[in-house]
Amino acid sequence: MSEEKKPEERKKRRTATEAASKIGPMVKASIGGTVQAREEGKPLAYSFICCCYDEIIRAMDVVPIWTENYAGVCGAKRDAQRFLERAESENFSRSLCTYALCGLGFDAWREELGEMPPEAPWGGQARPDMMLGSGQMLCDPRNKWYQAAQHYMPDVPIYDVGLPWPPYEDDYDYREVQDYYVKYIVRELKGLVKFLEKHTGKKMDWERLSGLVDLTDKTWNLIWEAYELRRAVPTPMGTGDAMNTMVPMVFMMGTQECYDYYKDLYDELKLKIANKEGVIPDEKYRLIWGGGLPSWFALSDFNYFNSKGAVFPVETTYRMIEATYNFDMDLSKISDPLEHIAWRWVKFWTYWHDKARKRPGSHPDVERLIKYIEDYKIDGIVMHEAFSCRSWHVGLIWQLNLLKKVYRDIPSLILESDIVDISSYNEVDTRAKIDAFIDTLEAVKR
Amino acid sequence: MSQYFAGVDIGSTMTKVVIMNQSVLASVIGPTGPEHRKLANRVMEEALGKAKLPFEDITYVVATGYGRINVPFADKQITEISCHARGVAYLLPEARTVIDIGGQDSKGIKLKDGRAVDFVMNDKCAAGTGRFLEVAAEELGVKLEDMGKLSLEAKKAVSVSNTCTVFATHEVVTKLSKGAALPDIIAGLHEAIATRVYGMLRRLKIEREVALTGGGAKNIGLVRAMEAKLGFAVLVPPEPLLTGAIGAALLGKDIVKEAEEKGTTLARAERRLQEATLFT
Amino acid sequence: MPEKVALKGLAAADRYYQDYGFRARELKKQGQKVIGYLCAFVPAELITAAGLVPFRIKGDVNEPITKADTEMETIVCPLVRSCFDMALKGNYEFLDGLVVPHACDSICRTYDVWKYTLDLPYAHFINMPHGTGDASLDFYGDILNTFRASLAKFTGKEISDQALAGAIKLHNQNRAKVKELYELRKASPPLISGEELTKVLIAAMSLPVEESIEMLGSVIAEVKGRGEVSARKPARIMVIGAQVDDIAFIKLIEDSGAWVVADDLCPGAREFLSSVDVTTDPVAGLAERYLRKIKCGRTYREMEGNYEEYLEDRFGHIGRMIDDFGVDGVVLYIYKYCDPFGFEVPQIKSYVEAKGTPVLYLEDEYSMSTIGRLRTRIQAFLEMLVK
Repeated sequence: MSEEKKPEERKKRRTATEAASKIGPMVKASIGGTVQAREEGKPLAYSFICCCYDEIIRAMDVVPIWTENYAGVCGAKRDAQRFLERAESENFSRSLCTYALCGLGFDAWREELGEMPPEAPWGGQARPDMMLGSGQMLCDPRNKWYQAAQHYMPDVPIYDVGLPWPPYEDDYDYREVQDYYVKYIVRELKGLVKFLEKHTGKKMDWERLSGLVDLTDKTWNLIWEAYELRRAVPTPMGTGDAMNTMVPMVFMMGTQECYDYYKDLYDELKLKIANKEGVIPDEKYRLIWGGGLPSWFALSDFNYFNSKGAVFPVETTYRMIEATYNFDMDLSKISDPLEHIAWRWVKFWTYWHDKARKRPGSHPDVERLIKYIEDYKIDGIVMHEAFSCRSWHVGLIWQLNLLKKVYRDIPSLILESDIVDISSYNEVDTRAKIDAFIDTLEAVKR
Repeated sequence: MSQYFAGVDIGSTMTKVVIMNQSVLASVIGPTGPEHRKLANRVMEEALGKAKLPFEDITYVVATGYGRINVPFADKQITEISCHARGVAYLLPEARTVIDIGGQDSKGIKLKDGRAVDFVMNDKCAAGTGRFLEVAAEELGVKLEDMGKLSLEAKKAVSVSNTCTVFATHEVVTKLSKGAALPDIIAGLHEAIATRVYGMLRRLKIEREVALTGGGAKNIGLVRAMEAKLGFAVLVPPEPLLTGAIGAALLGKDIVKEAEEKGTTLARAERRLQEATLFT
Repeated sequence: MPEKVALKGLAAADRYYQDYGFRARELKKQGQKVIGYLCAFVPAELITAAGLVPFRIKGDVNEPITKADTEMETIVCPLVRSCFDMALKGNYEFLDGLVVPHACDSICRTYDVWKYTLDLPYAHFINMPHGTGDASLDFYGDILNTFRASLAKFTGKEISDQALAGAIKLHNQNRAKVKELYELRKASPPLISGEELTKVLIAAMSLPVEESIEMLGSVIAEVKGRGEVSARKPARIMVIGAQVDDIAFIKLIEDSGAWVVADDLCPGAREFLSSVDVTTDPVAGLAERYLRKIKCGRTYREMEGNYEEYLEDRFGHIGRMIDDFGVDGVVLYIYKYCDPFGFEVPQIKSYVEAKGTPVLYLEDEYSMSTIGRLRTRIQAFLEMLVK
């Protein structure tokens, strides 16, 4: 009916690295893989990223369906509207997380038909055997989305893992409470193991799990080292690529494939640096993507930035790792895999607390920005406010204000649209904002 | 003695009055304009003239529509949801779902035993209402009345990705300048409205037959677009703009009948046509 | 000053409602410290036990949000934004501290914005877990003890188990009074209107607990004593939602031809109709009530049994209230950008409709600028209820 190009015909977005260009097919294969796993009767679990259960489900051969990823794919292929509309017709508010709306609309439709909705992107999202929610400070959809999905799949059980971390407060240090946080997380993870054992009929192989936990530590360190290579001038890789290269980090953690991927990336970046090969030949402005998930249907905006001489050597988004050897605790001494995971989690989320204590009036989120600005030689900061996501997109204004207050005035830009809902995005308007920002950067340079 | 009932429907764009006993005796349709407070009595006067009836002979007057609170001579105010339901139940008794697309809002109503039992409304966003077409028509340089006809000449509707009226209009003007055919664009706009309305309607669990009322029902392009979305034909009453007023009059009739059966007295407004003042 | 003594009953409630924070300001002048808090999930018992005055922060539906937008994104729950706007506009300049629970993203993710912008002498985030299992309950006990220690540091005085038990007793008494008031809504017509009751509860949340108990007592006596209030209205409505901290919405429903006789709101039944168990370790009793007894979409209730039983566990109290209070229709009133309630709409609607009670689902912006649209929908709903 429409004269618009089918998504496949759309020009493929140019990436700076080979590693990033490999991702599309990997994601497609992984989604197709879940559909096949369904047919083969393997246990499937709806899962959220960054919930401490990567190694645990891998150790039990449970196949994850990363529901956020599927929604992101629908968004990137500009085929999310019909699922958002279906969710809305079920009486879900359009102001809710659009990943969740896309997923809920899809599930409602699939359950109604008894098969995948017509022309479902990349084969569709398979029906799960269980759903793994997560109660955290990250976001509410993590414990409400699957609970809502259960309305369409009342026979599918849910386990909700509690994963808090100590907040940054003035009158106590996180070390005063970390013990009971870890204790709680370990109990929750134990509960997860019990749940998985019950619903797969398999027992946990603890040795295998320990091996995967060890592999994950190594992978974290490798990713950190690879990303730190981007400090080079010119930078060999930008955020546009990182939005691809994050895929193994969040969807394949705890697998050898994931480790190997980052090894390849590391080698590729090292080679580029040796050849002084940057994302663009004439790097004028180095920017940090300081917050917010990208608009999955508008990743080409990064290319637009590039065309204006701007690169993004570093981002906070989806950089969900730190080098474990930089923690103030020797994790290798923690042999119990669940305790190890729990400590790694708490240490990650409190990583920047100490730095914040050293600078009056500061905050860990801002310290992270400052470190990157200095290490990566950053001229300006760009953030994205996605209207449907409160977890990553609230506090951006405040962070920028605080950054300027405790550190220095630095050119900044906040883009507005959404992660999946394309009707919120205006390309002309966005590009105009980018142009104006470039002008500011140029003026500051002089 | 004959009983006569009046329904006054003050919509955001059009004001409609009907006078009926067993059937419609007289009807008037006029633009509401910004001074609708002063208008209601004039339109009523015109209707009475057509029906050749003095105002005192009107047994009961029901006002509906967004301007219903500005009808001082109304005996009762009832929402347009209940009135459209009642009107459709009379005009198209097989209907179980009503879609009303007005100038500035759109509604979906579920019927059961001739009454409204559930509804959805969009009165916040222009997309999905007549306003969407009005704005687009102006930008495209086409008469609003011609939009429907033109859309039927389309070879292939051009889809509109923006759901906001302002951005969508900009989008189609751009597409037109890039060579897209005008009928194709207009068809795309109708499709966009139908999509919005259908999406809203789905919250109701649509049941056949489906009736289409309001100004939108007079647009053949929009009727076809809705049918395409629904996957079946819709029923359209002979004069879609009068559904609400007819329903209002009939609800007045029901109220009087019930009062007579129960022997209760009804509160009635003064049978005097006057303008609504700020203190009414 | 004698004002406090002279006013009783509904007149007192009206005074404290119209001039919200009146008593807190007076107490501040007398040298007391006032701790503001967001949301019914803050165990105000601990604040009372610390010798501080707990004060529930509210927004203003009639005031357009302006100043808040310079610091806080507009994709946050409009109620939270309004509360923040009020704080920035000086309505709460008497506060010595701010306590915020991990209720929802809009509250959790804006805590730092509140803390750094208002820069009060005291601030604390109660990291309440989401789950209701034993591990979560134990963790929550530890969290509450951290809060307790934090308050002690602020006041320079330990909070003894005895003091806490005493505070719990008082707050339970407060809740018992509200429960008594709710009983008066069961009558037909109800002895107290929804508008009046809402006003009373909002007034109560601004008062120290002893004064609240006193006010509620006088309201109950007055309402019981005055007999039947007015003509019968055709419909009895229950309102379900998060925080309704203004009479405007309730009044809109009642002016359209109904009584609001029941609710699942805060302030409201959700907040007041469950008490703290008296336990050896008072913190355990607090943890139990706030995590398990209060039924709110923010808490992830562990599923036991099948799906129907799960819905009954989560929403059964709504079904019981519909029966006990003779409810004809339910208005589900949810703010835009609200995750805990927004995700539950289909389930709540389905549960209530399965019981044979019609549901009107309204999504709103919190401000009263939308009142015209709401009026049409409410009126249409009421027309449908009355046959």
